Amino acid sequence: MKQHLGRQSGVQTVEVSLIDGKVDVTPKEDGQIDPAQLLKATYDSGVTAAEMDMTARGKIVKDSSGGLALQVAPKQSFVLTANELSKELEALAGTQTMVTVRGQLYKKPTGKKKADPSAPLKLLILEVQKKE
Amino acid sequence: MNTRRLALLALLVSIASTAAQAQIKHIEMRVEGMT
Repeated sequence: MKQHLGRQSGVQTVEVSLIDGKVDVTPKEDGQIDPAQLLKATYDSGVTAAEMDMTARGKIVKDSSGGLALQVAPKQSFVLTANELSKELEALAGTQTMVTVRGQLYKKPTGKKKADPSAPLKLLILEVQKKE
Repeated sequence: MNTRRLALLALLVSIASTAAQAQIKHIEMRVEGMT
């Protein structure tokens, strides 16, 4: 799996901990990494992703449907799942303020629901680390 | 003198723009079924 993920575009390093099933992916400084592609590559390598968290820096924007999104590259943004923290960031929408957040992009559905790796990833903000 | 100032300004702008870059900094996954 480490090699499989390491081959994905924009990936600098992959650290795998067999003991706790943790996989740390460090993106290249100037590379554009696609979390959905990483999730797919994980499935393709024969393991099940239970959870995916991301730390990212970007601008808060409003998407075409009026919802909030975190824009991390000119052509890459993640729609925010509404919660208390996303409400706090609403005032920053459309401004030049950069925010660094940690959030959950994917969590394996509970029960018998089947995961759909092709579904668009939404970011549930867990922590706002910086506003600048 | 002006050339040196311009070079310094260009360097500072370059540093500032790199620092202001939006990007994914880190991704962490928890996986199941790994052997």
